[in-house]
Amino acid sequence: MLLSIEPDGPVPIYQQIRDRIVEAIADGRQPAGSALPSTRQLAVDLGVNFHTVNKGYDLLRQEGLLRLGRKSGAVVRRDAGSGLPDPGWAQDWTGRLRTLLAEAAAQGMPATGIVRECQAALADFDFPAAAAEAGNRSGSPP
Amino acid sequence: MSAGGLAAVSPVLVVGALTCLAPAVSRPTVQFGVRVPRERAGAPVIGRERRAYYWRTAAIGVCCTAVAVLVRGYGSWWLPRIILLPELAADLGCFWVARRKIAAVKNADGWFAGLRQTIVSDTSWRTDPPRFPVRWLIPALAVMAATAAVGALRYPGLPAHIDTGSGHRVPKSAVSVLVVAGQLYFTAVYSGLMLIIHRSRPDIDAADPAASTLRYRRFLTVVTRALLTMAALADLGLLLIAMPDWQVYRPSGIGRALPALPFAVGLLLLGAVAARTGQGGSRLNGNVRGLALAAGTDRDDDRFWKAGLLYLNRDDPAIVVGARFGVGWTPNFGNPVAWLILAGTVAAWAGLAVIGAAAGI
Repeated sequence: MLLSIEPDGPVPIYQQIRDRIVEAIADGRQPAGSALPSTRQLAVDLGVNFHTVNKGYDLLRQEGLLRLGRKSGAVVRRDAGSGLPDPGWAQDWTGRLRTLLAEAAAQGMPATGIVRECQAALADFDFPAAAAEAGNRSGSPP
Repeated sequence: MSAGGLAAVSPVLVVGALTCLAPAVSRPTVQFGVRVPRERAGAPVIGRERRAYYWRTAAIGVCCTAVAVLVRGYGSWWLPRIILLPELAADLGCFWVARRKIAAVKNADGWFAGLRQTIVSDTSWRTDPPRFPVRWLIPALAVMAATAAVGALRYPGLPAHIDTGSGHRVPKSAVSVLVVAGQLYFTAVYSGLMLIIHRSRPDIDAADPAASTLRYRRFLTVVTRALLTMAALADLGLLLIAMPDWQVYRPSGIGRALPALPFAVGLLLLGAVAARTGQGGSRLNGNVRGLALAAGTDRDDDRFWKAGLLYLNRDDPAIVVGARFGVGWTPNFGNPVAWLILAGTVAAWAGLAVIGAAAGI
Protein backbone atom coordinates (compact mmCIF):
# COMPACT_ATOMS: atom_id res chain seq x y z
CA MET A 1 0.00 0.00 0.00
CA LEU A 2 1.28 3.45 -0.88
CA LEU A 3 0.71 5.86 1.98
CA SER A 4 1.01 9.52 1.08
CA ILE A 5 1.06 12.44 3.51
CA GLU A 6 1.51 16.19 3.23
CA PRO A 7 3.85 17.05 6.12
CA ASP A 8 3.42 20.81 5.67
CA GLY A 9 -0.35 20.64 5.03
CA PRO A 10 -3.08 21.97 7.33
CA VAL A 11 -4.23 18.51 8.51
CA PRO A 12 -2.15 17.03 11.40
CA ILE A 13 0.15 14.22 10.25
CA TYR A 14 -1.32 11.64 12.65
CA GLN A 15 -4.78 12.41 11.23
CA GLN A 16 -3.49 12.00 7.66
CA ILE A 17 -1.95 8.61 8.56
CA ARG A 18 -5.25 7.52 10.10
CA ASP A 19 -7.26 8.76 7.07
CA ARG A 20 -5.01 7.06 4.47
CA ILE A 21 -5.22 3.73 6.31
CA VAL A 22 -9.02 3.96 6.61
CA GLU A 23 -9.21 4.62 2.84
CA ALA A 24 -6.91 1.65 2.14
CA ILE A 25 -9.14 -0.62 4.26
CA ALA A 26 -12.25 0.63 2.47
CA ASP A 27 -10.93 0.14 -1.06
CA GLY A 28 -9.57 -3.34 -0.31
CA ARG A 29 -5.83 -2.59 -0.36
CA GLN A 30 -5.60 -3.47 3.35
CA PRO A 31 -8.16 -6.23 4.04
CA ALA A 32 -8.90 -7.57 7.52
CA GLY A 33 -5.99 -9.64 8.80
CA SER A 34 -3.37 -7.84 6.71
CA ALA A 35 -0.31 -6.42 8.43
CA LEU A 36 0.84 -2.81 8.62
CA PRO A 37 4.39 -1.67 9.43
CA SER A 38 5.24 -1.20 13.09
CA THR A 39 5.09 2.29 14.58
CA ARG A 40 8.87 2.55 14.46
CA GLN A 41 9.15 1.39 10.85
CA LEU A 42 6.42 3.68 9.54
CA ALA A 43 7.97 6.62 11.43
CA VAL A 44 11.32 5.91 9.72
CA ASP A 45 9.67 5.58 6.30
CA LEU A 46 7.76 8.86 6.63
CA GLY A 47 10.58 10.67 8.43
CA VAL A 48 8.30 11.70 11.30
CA ASN A 49 8.36 11.24 15.08
CA PHE A 50 7.37 7.83 16.55
CA HIS A 51 4.71 9.51 18.69
CA THR A 52 3.00 10.93 15.59
CA VAL A 53 2.53 7.47 14.06
CA ASN A 54 1.60 6.06 17.46
CA LYS A 55 -1.17 8.65 17.76
CA GLY A 56 -2.57 7.75 14.32
CA TYR A 57 -2.48 4.01 15.07
CA ASP A 58 -4.09 4.58 18.47
CA LEU A 59 -6.99 6.41 16.82
CA LEU A 60 -7.53 3.42 14.52
CA ARG A 61 -7.38 1.06 17.51
CA GLN A 62 -10.01 3.10 19.35
CA GLU A 63 -12.23 2.94 16.25
CA GLY A 64 -11.87 -0.86 16.20
CA LEU A 65 -10.09 -0.94 12.85
CA LEU A 66 -6.64 -1.94 14.08
CA ARG A 67 -5.29 -4.50 16.52
CA LEU A 68 -1.96 -3.63 18.09
CA GLY A 69 0.08 -6.40 19.67
CA ARG A 70 3.63 -6.74 20.89
CA LYS A 71 4.28 -9.84 18.81
CA SER A 72 1.75 -9.54 15.98
CA GLY A 73 2.45 -5.84 15.34
CA ALA A 74 -0.27 -3.73 13.70
CA VAL A 75 -2.96 -5.83 12.01
CA VAL A 76 -6.18 -4.65 10.34
CA ARG A 77 -9.05 -5.87 12.54
CA ARG A 78 -12.08 -5.35 10.31
CA ASP A 79 -13.06 -4.30 6.79
CA ALA A 80 -16.19 -3.92 4.63
CA GLY A 81 -16.84 -7.68 4.84
CA SER A 82 -16.67 -7.91 8.63
CA GLY A 83 -20.36 -7.21 9.20
CA LEU A 84 -22.33 -4.23 10.44
CA PRO A 85 -20.64 -1.68 12.68
CA ASP A 86 -21.67 -0.97 16.28
CA PRO A 87 -24.93 1.09 16.49
CA GLY A 88 -23.15 3.71 18.60
CA TRP A 89 -20.44 4.17 15.99
CA ALA A 90 -23.04 4.46 13.18
CA GLN A 91 -24.90 7.19 15.08
CA ASP A 92 -21.68 9.14 15.63
CA TRP A 93 -20.67 8.76 11.97
CA THR A 94 -24.10 10.01 10.78
CA GLY A 95 -23.57 13.15 12.82
CA ARG A 96 -20.14 13.76 11.25
CA LEU A 97 -21.49 13.02 7.77
CA ARG A 98 -24.26 15.57 8.29
CA THR A 99 -21.67 18.22 9.12
CA LEU A 100 -19.58 17.29 6.07
CA LEU A 101 -22.61 17.51 3.75
CA ALA A 102 -23.63 20.76 5.39
CA GLU A 103 -20.22 22.22 4.52
CA ALA A 104 -20.81 21.40 0.83
CA ALA A 105 -24.35 22.84 0.95
CA ALA A 106 -23.18 25.98 2.74
CA GLN A 107 -20.54 26.52 0.06
CA GLY A 108 -23.27 26.39 -2.61
CA MET A 109 -22.68 22.93 -4.02
CA PRO A 110 -25.91 21.59 -5.63
CA ALA A 111 -27.51 18.45 -4.18
CA THR A 112 -26.97 16.55 -7.44
CA GLY A 113 -23.29 17.45 -7.34
CA ILE A 114 -22.98 16.25 -3.75
CA VAL A 115 -24.69 12.93 -4.59
CA ARG A 116 -22.47 12.48 -7.67
CA GLU A 117 -19.33 13.03 -5.58
CA CYS A 118 -20.58 10.54 -2.97
CA GLN A 119 -21.27 7.93 -5.66
CA ALA A 120 -17.83 8.46 -7.22
CA ALA A 121 -16.16 7.95 -3.82
CA LEU A 122 -18.25 4.85 -3.07
CA ALA A 123 -17.39 3.36 -6.46
CA ASP A 124 -13.74 3.20 -5.35
CA PHE A 125 -14.52 1.14 -2.26
CA ASP A 126 -14.44 -2.62 -2.10
CA PHE A 127 -17.85 -3.69 -0.85
CA PRO A 128 -18.62 -7.41 -0.46
CA ALA A 129 -20.94 -8.80 -3.16
CA ALA A 130 -23.96 -9.30 -0.83
CA ALA A 131 -23.87 -5.71 0.41
CA ALA A 132 -23.49 -4.40 -3.15
CA GLU A 133 -26.57 -6.36 -4.32
CA ALA A 134 -28.60 -5.13 -1.35
CA GLY A 135 -27.60 -1.58 -2.19
CA ASN A 136 -28.57 -1.96 -5.85
CA ARG A 137 -32.01 -3.43 -4.95
CA SER A 138 -32.79 -0.50 -2.67
CA GLY A 139 -31.77 1.91 -5.46
CA SER A 140 -29.04 3.47 -3.40
CA PRO A 141 -25.28 3.19 -3.72
CA PRO A 142 -23.90 0.04 -2.03
CA MET B 1 56.00 5.05 -13.88
CA SER B 2 56.84 2.52 -11.16
CA ALA B 3 54.22 0.50 -9.30
CA GLY B 4 54.78 2.60 -6.18
CA GLY B 5 54.41 5.85 -8.12
CA LEU B 6 51.19 4.62 -9.72
CA ALA B 7 49.79 3.64 -6.30
CA ALA B 8 50.70 7.08 -4.91
CA VAL B 9 49.09 9.05 -7.77
CA SER B 10 45.98 6.95 -8.39
CA PRO B 11 43.94 8.23 -5.37
CA VAL B 12 44.21 11.80 -6.72
CA LEU B 13 43.07 10.64 -10.17
CA VAL B 14 40.22 8.46 -8.84
CA VAL B 15 38.88 11.11 -6.44
CA GLY B 16 39.05 13.72 -9.22
CA ALA B 17 37.13 11.48 -11.64
CA LEU B 18 34.48 10.49 -9.07
CA THR B 19 33.71 14.04 -7.92
CA CYS B 20 33.63 15.26 -11.53
CA LEU B 21 31.10 12.62 -12.61
CA ALA B 22 28.93 12.67 -9.44
CA PRO B 23 26.19 14.99 -10.85
CA ALA B 24 25.60 12.53 -13.73
CA VAL B 25 24.48 9.78 -11.33
CA SER B 26 22.60 11.97 -8.83
CA ARG B 27 18.80 12.11 -8.77
CA PRO B 28 17.31 14.45 -11.41
CA THR B 29 15.16 16.01 -8.68
CA VAL B 30 18.18 16.86 -6.51
CA GLN B 31 20.68 19.10 -8.30
CA PHE B 32 23.87 19.96 -6.38
CA GLY B 33 22.07 19.32 -3.10
CA VAL B 34 19.08 21.47 -4.05
CA ARG B 35 15.65 19.80 -4.23
CA VAL B 36 13.84 20.76 -7.44
CA PRO B 37 10.41 19.75 -8.76
CA ARG B 38 10.59 17.17 -11.58
CA GLU B 39 9.27 19.65 -14.16
CA ARG B 40 12.16 22.03 -13.32
CA ALA B 41 14.92 19.42 -13.69
CA GLY B 42 15.69 20.75 -17.17
CA ALA B 43 15.81 24.44 -16.17
CA PRO B 44 18.49 26.47 -18.04
CA VAL B 45 20.33 27.36 -14.81
CA ILE B 46 20.77 23.66 -13.98
CA GLY B 47 22.21 22.79 -17.42
CA ARG B 48 24.53 25.79 -17.27
CA GLU B 49 25.81 24.98 -13.78
CA ARG B 50 26.31 21.29 -14.57
CA ARG B 51 28.45 22.10 -17.60
CA ALA B 52 30.49 24.63 -15.62
CA TYR B 53 30.98 22.08 -12.81
CA TYR B 54 32.19 19.38 -15.23
CA TRP B 55 34.77 21.71 -16.81
CA ARG B 56 36.00 23.16 -13.52
CA THR B 57 36.37 19.81 -11.69
CA ALA B 58 37.96 18.14 -14.74
CA ALA B 59 40.57 20.93 -14.86
CA ILE B 60 41.17 20.58 -11.10
CA GLY B 61 41.56 16.79 -11.44
CA VAL B 62 44.05 17.09 -14.32
CA CYS B 63 46.12 19.76 -12.51
CA CYS B 64 46.20 17.86 -9.20
CA THR B 65 47.15 14.58 -10.92
CA ALA B 66 49.95 16.36 -12.80
CA VAL B 67 51.27 17.85 -9.54
CA ALA B 68 51.06 14.42 -7.84
CA VAL B 69 53.10 12.88 -10.70
CA LEU B 70 55.71 15.63 -10.43
CA VAL B 71 56.17 15.41 -6.63
CA ARG B 72 56.08 11.61 -6.33
CA GLY B 73 59.88 11.40 -6.48
CA TYR B 74 60.38 13.79 -3.57
CA GLY B 75 59.94 13.17 0.13
CA SER B 76 57.74 10.49 1.61
CA TRP B 77 54.85 8.40 0.22
CA TRP B 78 52.32 10.84 1.68
CA LEU B 79 53.43 13.82 -0.43
CA PRO B 80 51.33 12.94 -3.55
CA ARG B 81 48.39 11.98 -1.33
CA ILE B 82 48.35 15.26 0.56
CA ILE B 83 47.30 16.84 -2.74
CA LEU B 84 43.96 15.09 -2.15
CA LEU B 85 43.10 17.77 0.42
CA PRO B 86 43.35 20.84 -1.86
CA GLU B 87 41.73 18.79 -4.66
CA LEU B 88 38.71 17.93 -2.50
CA ALA B 89 38.48 21.51 -1.20
CA ALA B 90 38.50 22.91 -4.75
CA ASP B 91 35.85 20.37 -5.91
CA LEU B 92 33.71 21.27 -2.90
CA GLY B 93 34.04 24.93 -3.85
CA CYS B 94 32.74 24.13 -7.38
CA PHE B 95 29.82 22.22 -5.82
CA TRP B 96 28.90 25.15 -3.59
CA VAL B 97 29.08 27.67 -6.44
CA ALA B 98 26.65 25.58 -8.51
CA ARG B 99 24.43 24.97 -5.48
CA ARG B 100 24.22 28.65 -4.58
CA LYS B 101 23.26 29.70 -8.11
CA ILE B 102 20.57 27.03 -8.54
CA ALA B 103 19.13 27.72 -5.06
CA ALA B 104 19.01 31.46 -5.83
CA VAL B 105 16.94 30.92 -9.01
CA LYS B 106 14.74 28.33 -7.27
CA ASN B 107 13.92 30.72 -4.43
CA ALA B 108 13.51 33.77 -6.65
CA ASP B 109 11.13 32.01 -9.06
CA GLY B 110 9.29 30.06 -6.31
CA TRP B 111 9.67 26.65 -7.96
CA PHE B 112 7.69 24.90 -5.22
CA ALA B 113 4.97 27.56 -4.90
CA GLY B 114 1.51 26.04 -5.28
CA LEU B 115 2.78 22.47 -5.60
CA ARG B 116 1.38 19.69 -3.45
CA GLN B 117 4.44 18.48 -1.53
CA THR B 118 4.13 14.95 -0.21
CA ILE B 119 6.06 12.12 1.42
CA VAL B 120 5.13 8.65 0.20
CA SER B 121 5.76 5.38 1.99
CA ASP B 122 5.28 1.90 0.55
CA THR B 123 4.11 -0.34 3.42
CA SER B 124 5.06 -3.47 1.42
CA TRP B 125 8.69 -2.44 2.04
CA ARG B 126 8.09 -3.56 5.63
CA THR B 127 5.56 -6.33 5.21
CA ASP B 128 7.54 -7.87 2.31
CA PRO B 129 11.07 -6.52 2.90
CA PRO B 130 13.94 -7.05 0.44
CA ARG B 131 16.12 -9.97 1.47
CA PHE B 132 19.74 -9.41 2.38
CA PRO B 133 21.82 -11.44 -0.13
CA VAL B 134 23.66 -13.53 2.47
CA ARG B 135 25.14 -15.81 -0.23
CA TRP B 136 27.14 -12.88 -1.60
CA LEU B 137 29.11 -12.87 1.68
CA ILE B 138 30.57 -16.28 0.80
CA PRO B 139 33.48 -14.94 -1.37
CA ALA B 140 34.64 -12.61 1.44
CA LEU B 141 34.40 -15.43 4.01
CA ALA B 142 36.23 -17.81 1.63
CA VAL B 143 39.11 -15.30 1.21
CA MET B 144 39.30 -14.88 4.99
CA ALA B 145 39.40 -18.67 5.44
CA ALA B 146 42.12 -18.95 2.77
CA THR B 147 44.14 -16.20 4.52
CA ALA B 148 43.83 -17.99 7.87
CA ALA B 149 44.92 -21.28 6.26
CA VAL B 150 47.94 -19.73 4.47
CA GLY B 151 48.92 -17.84 7.63
CA ALA B 152 48.64 -20.96 9.83
CA LEU B 153 50.78 -22.96 7.38
CA ARG B 154 53.52 -20.33 6.97
CA TYR B 155 53.62 -18.87 10.50
CA PRO B 156 55.69 -21.59 12.30
CA GLY B 157 58.45 -21.46 9.67
CA LEU B 158 58.79 -17.64 9.62
CA PRO B 159 61.61 -15.79 11.45
CA ALA B 160 60.60 -13.80 14.55
CA HIS B 161 60.90 -10.51 12.63
CA ILE B 162 59.92 -9.91 9.00
CA ASP B 163 61.19 -7.30 6.53
CA THR B 164 57.96 -5.90 5.02
CA GLY B 165 57.60 -4.62 1.47
CA SER B 166 57.52 -1.03 2.78
CA GLY B 167 61.02 -1.43 4.22
CA HIS B 168 60.10 -1.95 7.90
CA ARG B 169 61.26 -4.77 10.19
CA VAL B 170 58.31 -5.90 12.32
CA PRO B 171 57.33 -8.90 14.50
CA LYS B 172 55.69 -11.65 12.45
CA SER B 173 52.72 -11.77 14.83
CA ALA B 174 51.92 -8.08 14.11
CA VAL B 175 51.72 -8.64 10.33
CA SER B 176 49.53 -11.73 10.75
CA VAL B 177 47.17 -10.08 13.25
CA LEU B 178 46.82 -6.93 11.15
CA VAL B 179 45.95 -8.80 7.96
CA VAL B 180 43.23 -10.88 9.61
CA ALA B 181 41.92 -7.88 11.62
CA GLY B 182 41.86 -5.78 8.43
CA GLN B 183 39.84 -8.43 6.61
CA LEU B 184 37.44 -8.71 9.54
CA TYR B 185 37.07 -4.93 9.54
CA PHE B 186 36.29 -4.66 5.81
CA THR B 187 33.83 -7.57 5.86
CA ALA B 188 32.09 -6.46 9.08
CA VAL B 189 31.84 -2.80 8.04
CA TYR B 190 30.54 -3.49 4.52
CA SER B 191 28.02 -6.12 5.57
CA GLY B 192 26.99 -4.25 8.75
CA LEU B 193 26.36 -1.01 6.88
CA MET B 194 24.37 -2.81 4.18
CA LEU B 195 22.24 -4.50 6.86
CA ILE B 196 21.44 -1.08 8.36
CA ILE B 197 20.68 0.30 4.89
CA HIS B 198 18.34 -2.65 4.19
CA ARG B 199 16.34 -1.57 7.24
CA SER B 200 16.34 2.12 6.31
CA ARG B 201 13.68 3.79 4.20
CA PRO B 202 13.66 3.56 0.42
CA ASP B 203 14.06 6.68 -1.72
CA ILE B 204 10.57 7.01 -3.20
CA ASP B 205 9.75 9.60 -5.84
CA ALA B 206 6.45 11.18 -4.81
CA ALA B 207 5.52 11.83 -8.45
CA ASP B 208 6.04 8.18 -9.41
CA PRO B 209 5.90 6.19 -6.15
CA ALA B 210 5.08 2.65 -7.31
CA ALA B 211 7.66 2.46 -10.10
CA SER B 212 10.35 4.24 -8.06
CA THR B 213 9.87 1.71 -5.22
CA LEU B 214 10.46 -1.14 -7.67
CA ARG B 215 13.51 0.64 -9.06
CA TYR B 216 14.88 1.16 -5.55
CA ARG B 217 14.46 -2.56 -4.77
CA ARG B 218 16.60 -3.44 -7.81
CA PHE B 219 19.10 -0.70 -6.94
CA LEU B 220 19.50 -1.95 -3.36
CA THR B 221 19.99 -5.56 -4.48
CA VAL B 222 22.61 -4.65 -7.10
CA VAL B 223 24.52 -2.23 -4.86
CA THR B 224 24.53 -4.69 -1.92
CA ARG B 225 25.95 -7.42 -4.14
CA ALA B 226 28.56 -5.02 -5.54
CA LEU B 227 29.62 -3.85 -2.06
CA LEU B 228 29.88 -7.42 -0.73
CA THR B 229 32.01 -8.25 -3.80
CA MET B 230 34.11 -5.17 -2.99
CA ALA B 231 34.58 -6.52 0.55
CA ALA B 232 35.82 -9.84 -0.90
CA LEU B 233 38.20 -7.96 -3.26
CA ALA B 234 39.51 -5.79 -0.40
CA ASP B 235 40.13 -8.97 1.64
CA LEU B 236 41.95 -10.44 -1.36
CA GLY B 237 44.09 -7.29 -1.62
CA LEU B 238 45.10 -7.68 2.03
CA LEU B 239 45.95 -11.35 1.45
CA LEU B 240 48.16 -10.34 -1.51
CA ILE B 241 49.85 -7.71 0.68
CA ALA B 242 50.57 -10.38 3.32
CA MET B 243 51.83 -13.06 0.89
CA PRO B 244 55.35 -11.57 0.34
CA ASP B 245 55.65 -10.91 4.10
CA TRP B 246 54.75 -14.53 4.72
CA GLN B 247 57.41 -15.42 2.15
CA VAL B 248 54.95 -17.16 -0.16
CA TYR B 249 56.32 -15.33 -3.22
CA ARG B 250 58.72 -12.49 -4.02
CA PRO B 251 57.18 -9.77 -6.17
CA SER B 252 59.36 -7.77 -8.55
CA GLY B 253 58.82 -4.86 -10.95
CA ILE B 254 55.16 -4.25 -11.84
CA GLY B 255 54.28 -7.32 -9.73
CA ARG B 256 54.61 -5.08 -6.66
CA ALA B 257 51.36 -3.40 -7.73
CA LEU B 258 49.50 -6.75 -7.64
CA PRO B 259 47.89 -6.14 -4.18
CA ALA B 260 46.34 -2.91 -5.53
CA LEU B 261 44.66 -4.78 -8.40
CA PRO B 262 41.66 -6.15 -6.41
CA PHE B 263 40.98 -2.67 -4.95
CA ALA B 264 41.13 -1.16 -8.46
CA VAL B 265 38.80 -3.85 -9.85
CA GLY B 266 36.40 -3.24 -6.92
CA LEU B 267 36.37 0.51 -7.55
CA LEU B 268 35.72 -0.01 -11.27
CA LEU B 269 32.88 -2.39 -10.41
CA LEU B 270 31.29 0.12 -8.02
CA GLY B 271 31.71 2.88 -10.60
CA ALA B 272 30.04 0.75 -13.30
CA VAL B 273 27.14 -0.11 -10.96
CA ALA B 274 26.68 3.57 -10.01
CA ALA B 275 26.72 4.62 -13.68
CA ARG B 276 24.16 1.95 -14.59
CA THR B 277 21.72 2.43 -11.70
CA GLY B 278 22.06 6.10 -10.73
CA GLN B 279 21.21 7.22 -7.22
CA GLY B 280 18.29 5.19 -5.83
CA GLY B 281 17.86 3.44 -9.22
CA SER B 282 16.97 6.71 -10.96
CA ARG B 283 18.71 5.59 -14.18
CA LEU B 284 16.98 2.19 -14.29
CA ASN B 285 13.97 1.46 -16.47
CA GLY B 286 11.08 0.88 -14.16
CA ASN B 287 7.98 2.47 -15.59
CA VAL B 288 5.38 -0.08 -14.65
CA ARG B 289 2.07 0.44 -16.37
CA GLY B 290 -0.96 0.36 -14.13
CA LEU B 291 1.06 1.14 -11.01
CA ALA B 292 1.48 4.87 -11.49
CA LEU B 293 -0.20 6.93 -8.81
CA ALA B 294 0.51 10.62 -9.05
CA ALA B 295 0.65 11.68 -5.42
CA GLY B 296 2.28 15.05 -5.76
CA THR B 297 5.84 16.25 -5.81
CA ASP B 298 8.71 15.54 -3.42
CA ARG B 299 8.82 17.70 -0.32
CA ASP B 300 11.23 20.63 -0.41
CA ASP B 301 13.49 19.42 2.42
CA ASP B 302 16.55 21.62 1.77
CA ARG B 303 16.35 23.03 5.31
CA PHE B 304 17.41 19.65 6.75
CA TRP B 305 20.54 19.47 4.54
CA LYS B 306 23.51 21.45 5.82
CA ALA B 307 25.73 22.73 3.00
CA GLY B 308 23.66 20.52 0.68
CA LEU B 309 25.50 17.37 1.79
CA LEU B 310 24.93 16.67 5.52
CA TYR B 311 21.49 15.53 6.69
CA LEU B 312 20.48 16.77 10.14
CA ASN B 313 16.87 16.20 11.20
CA ARG B 314 16.24 15.45 14.88
CA ASP B 315 12.57 14.60 14.27
CA ASP B 316 13.50 11.93 11.72
CA PRO B 317 14.21 8.54 13.38
CA ALA B 318 16.12 7.31 10.28
CA ILE B 319 19.76 6.37 10.90
CA VAL B 320 20.81 6.67 7.25
CA VAL B 321 19.15 8.32 4.24
CA GLY B 322 19.93 8.45 0.53
CA ALA B 323 22.84 10.79 -0.30
CA ARG B 324 22.12 13.99 -2.20
CA PHE B 325 25.23 14.02 -4.35
CA GLY B 326 26.47 10.94 -6.20
CA VAL B 327 25.35 7.40 -5.32
CA GLY B 328 25.09 6.06 -1.79
CA TRP B 329 23.80 6.87 1.66
CA THR B 330 24.62 9.38 4.37
CA PRO B 331 24.02 9.34 8.15
CA ASN B 332 21.30 11.40 9.78
CA PHE B 333 23.50 13.56 12.00
CA GLY B 334 20.44 14.44 14.07
CA ASN B 335 20.17 10.82 15.28
CA PRO B 336 22.51 9.81 18.18
CA VAL B 337 22.54 6.19 16.91
CA ALA B 338 24.14 7.37 13.65
CA TRP B 339 26.86 9.12 15.66
CA LEU B 340 27.47 5.92 17.67
CA ILE B 341 27.84 3.83 14.49
CA LEU B 342 30.18 6.42 12.96
CA ALA B 343 32.25 6.57 16.14
CA GLY B 344 32.45 2.75 16.29
CA THR B 345 33.59 2.51 12.65
CA VAL B 346 36.23 5.23 13.09
CA ALA B 347 37.38 3.78 16.44
CA ALA B 348 37.87 0.33 14.88
CA TRP B 349 39.87 1.88 12.04
CA ALA B 350 41.93 3.93 14.51
CA GLY B 351 42.54 0.79 16.58
CA LEU B 352 43.99 -0.96 13.52
CA ALA B 353 46.17 2.09 12.77
CA VAL B 354 47.44 2.17 16.38
CA ILE B 355 48.33 -1.55 16.29
CA GLY B 356 50.16 -0.97 13.00
CA ALA B 357 52.01 2.06 14.36
CA ALA B 358 52.96 0.23 17.58
CA ALA B 359 54.37 -2.64 15.51
CA GLY B 360 56.35 -0.14 13.42
CA ILE B 361 54.48 -0.76 10.12
